[in-house]
Amino acid sequence: MDTLDGTIWDVLIVGTGIQQSLLALALSRSGKKILHIDPNDYYGGAEAAFSLQEAEEWANKVDAGSSSAAYANISISKPEKAGSDASAPSLSFSRAYSLALSPQLIYARSSLIQYLVSSNVYRQLEFLAVGSWWVYSGEPDLASNVIAGEPSEGVGQSRHGRLLKVPNGREDVFQDQVLDFKAKRALMKFLRFIVEYEEQQEVWEEHRQQPFPTFLSEQFKVPVALHAPLLALTLSADSSNNTTTEFALPRIARHLRSVGVFGAGFGSVIPKFGGTSEITQAACRASAVGGGVYALGTGLSSLTNDEPSGAERNSETVGSGGVRVRLKDDETVSTQWVIGEESEPTTPKTTYCRSITIVSSPLTPLFPPIAEEAPDPACAVIAFPSGGLSLDEGIPDQPELPPVHIFVHSSDTGECPAGQSVLYVSTSLSGEKGFQLLGKAVETLLRTVDISPPPTVLWSAQYEQRYSAANSSLPPSSSEHVLKFPPSSVDLAFDDSILDQVKSVWQKIMGDDAGEFLVFKDREANVDAEE
Amino acid sequence: MADSGAQAQPKPSSSVKLVLLGEAAVGKSSLVMRFVNNDFQENKEPTIGAAFLTQKCNLPTRTIKFEIWDTAGQERFASLAPMYYRNAQAALVVYDITKPSSLTKAQHWVAELQRQASPGIVIALVGNKLDLASSNPNSGSSDGDDADAAPAAEGEEEGEEGEGDARRVPTKTAKAYADEEGLLFFETSAKTGLNVAEVFTAIANAIPETSLKGPRGVGGQTSLGRQEDARVNLVGGRTEGAKEGCAC
Repeated sequence: MDTLDGTIWDVLIVGTGIQQSLLALALSRSGKKILHIDPNDYYGGAEAAFSLQEAEEWANKVDAGSSSAAYANISISKPEKAGSDASAPSLSFSRAYSLALSPQLIYARSSLIQYLVSSNVYRQLEFLAVGSWWVYSGEPDLASNVIAGEPSEGVGQSRHGRLLKVPNGREDVFQDQVLDFKAKRALMKFLRFIVEYEEQQEVWEEHRQQPFPTFLSEQFKVPVALHAPLLALTLSADSSNNTTTEFALPRIARHLRSVGVFGAGFGSVIPKFGGTSEITQAACRASAVGGGVYALGTGLSSLTNDEPSGAERNSETVGSGGVRVRLKDDETVSTQWVIGEESEPTTPKTTYCRSITIVSSPLTPLFPPIAEEAPDPACAVIAFPSGGLSLDEGIPDQPELPPVHIFVHSSDTGECPAGQSVLYVSTSLSGEKGFQLLGKAVETLLRTVDISPPPTVLWSAQYEQRYSAANSSLPPSSSEHVLKFPPSSVDLAFDDSILDQVKSVWQKIMGDDAGEFLVFKDREANVDAEE
Repeated sequence: MADSGAQAQPKPSSSVKLVLLGEAAVGKSSLVMRFVNNDFQENKEPTIGAAFLTQKCNLPTRTIKFEIWDTAGQERFASLAPMYYRNAQAALVVYDITKPSSLTKAQHWVAELQRQASPGIVIALVGNKLDLASSNPNSGSSDGDDADAAPAAEGEEEGEEGEGDARRVPTKTAKAYADEEGLLFFETSAKTGLNVAEVFTAIANAIPETSLKGPRGVGGQTSLGRQEDARVNLVGGRTEGAKEGCAC
């Protein structure tokens, strides 16, 4: 039974990244015969999550050029333990870790959440709250009277700089003891504007392309010291002067509008056990429940339009417009539709440097309770503002380096054992400089957090992520039945436009029978009455 | 004061994630349907439509709520997602006592679980379709030809065991393997219900108390309780919530 050769399908999906997986989910009740393959032997494509051992295998494969084009220049390091001290913290076993290649925050107002609920897939997932947002300031004296309400609000006050907590909305700002009245008023005015910025186009329309800090200063007289926390909320990968007002406004609004939706004091969530990877797996599983067939380690080698060619065709073969597909192991299947990824992005290519660092400490000071009756936070966001770190100290007039963002995941995420934490670090600076900047950010963070025993690095991987397809890209084809998604997003927050793309492909496949997108009745015959 | 309090106190209750594995058509879903709904369907279609069922199992001192994950056919090309095994505290590996190749496949899955799943997972090996064996289920086939029954080819009809006995995997063979690997072992019939409840009760009893996580507010959990506190409830969120962050 276990051969695909000669089989006939309605839809062939190539790759198990988030877009393909959500498409599989969307088609899971359509009655269509779905074959979902992935050339990798793991789920998730560019959004995969790995154990230590899997991460090493992945690194070797990418090195050998046989894996995804989305990642490159991977190196993994395990610092030697100092001496032979048996009590020194050490790595646990490989499977105690589940490390996400491309972790993202999901805002409470994201349509992804809405669809996970309406499709009932959320039942197989667990979500955890993203707690505090921190901004690194290298200038303790200047910064201390700016935004940290009182000294206890700052974590780590070493002379190396400190982390300042980003206020969590207007109430926080209002209660702040240190902000001067003028600064407070300016900030409040801006926050009032941002919640209804769409209706106040006259305020920002002509400043769309203006750098956001300029907009803040000129339109709202927001003091310069408050720019960094506001920029942090945009999660912009660009340096502040390249972050435009039209980019920043919707992102800050999204942040503030999401706060409180699932509980007081937080606005975004992360899936437990390895981020978006978990969502791709749950979506594929739902598709399998609907009869979809899954084969990993199965790539695609060629596509030919399946023109009807007379006598050899019988009524079972696909109709005109179908596609004949040769898989990597020389099996041939026929299908009405093939869906994969674009091999080249339509927008300019961007490369990020990323790293994953396992640390020997829970870094508890970064996870203060969010609010009464709010869930315990499992993720903290640390922004090193653009220009906040420099690589060549002492050399004047260096160009401002772009910001660095660190997501700190606690062991509650199931991504590391208790007592440890995982730092996911990223910057838009590429190449060797980018990796140096990541290293500097990690070093600075660990030195700044005031915790004993001091945290040490147990394991670390660094890699470049390109905005280009994982290896599920399709060969060129003129067929209207071959559809391609743009490559996975490198955004640090889940990008809702992905759902629009999935929806449009789903609509093409379903035609007039589409119905409602991702709205399904509960499949379980046996729903526990108590829940 | 203790007496009335103890009376009213509900038994501690915990959830256990249980995964089902085994070759196609050995009766995985039928076993679960028998356990959950006390129901059996002849000629059941391959599993489509159910991936997740729950059923409670009452023990003298505690209640175990099984969250049963069916494979939904994803195992056909050995393409199960890691999330399927992850955090499973129990696994039911099923074979068909009339089909030796299915035991080979079961052994394969046991090895996979030992490699991929949580270190403390409780694994039960279950030979299903006992109703197809002769009336004395424990006799198995005669001792002479059973030694290599498991790896034997699918070819049937090699040793007729008498009228109506389709058994091809002797109890002894499977039991010896289960003992060697430290697995619970049962032969069941999803069709008649024989031994089905016993399998789940045995699993419930074998789950170490320490690996149990309780639902919110029940069971006086200590270290693991924190995990539950961290979970975000996506439904029933406060719709007016956004006010918190912005407009007043």
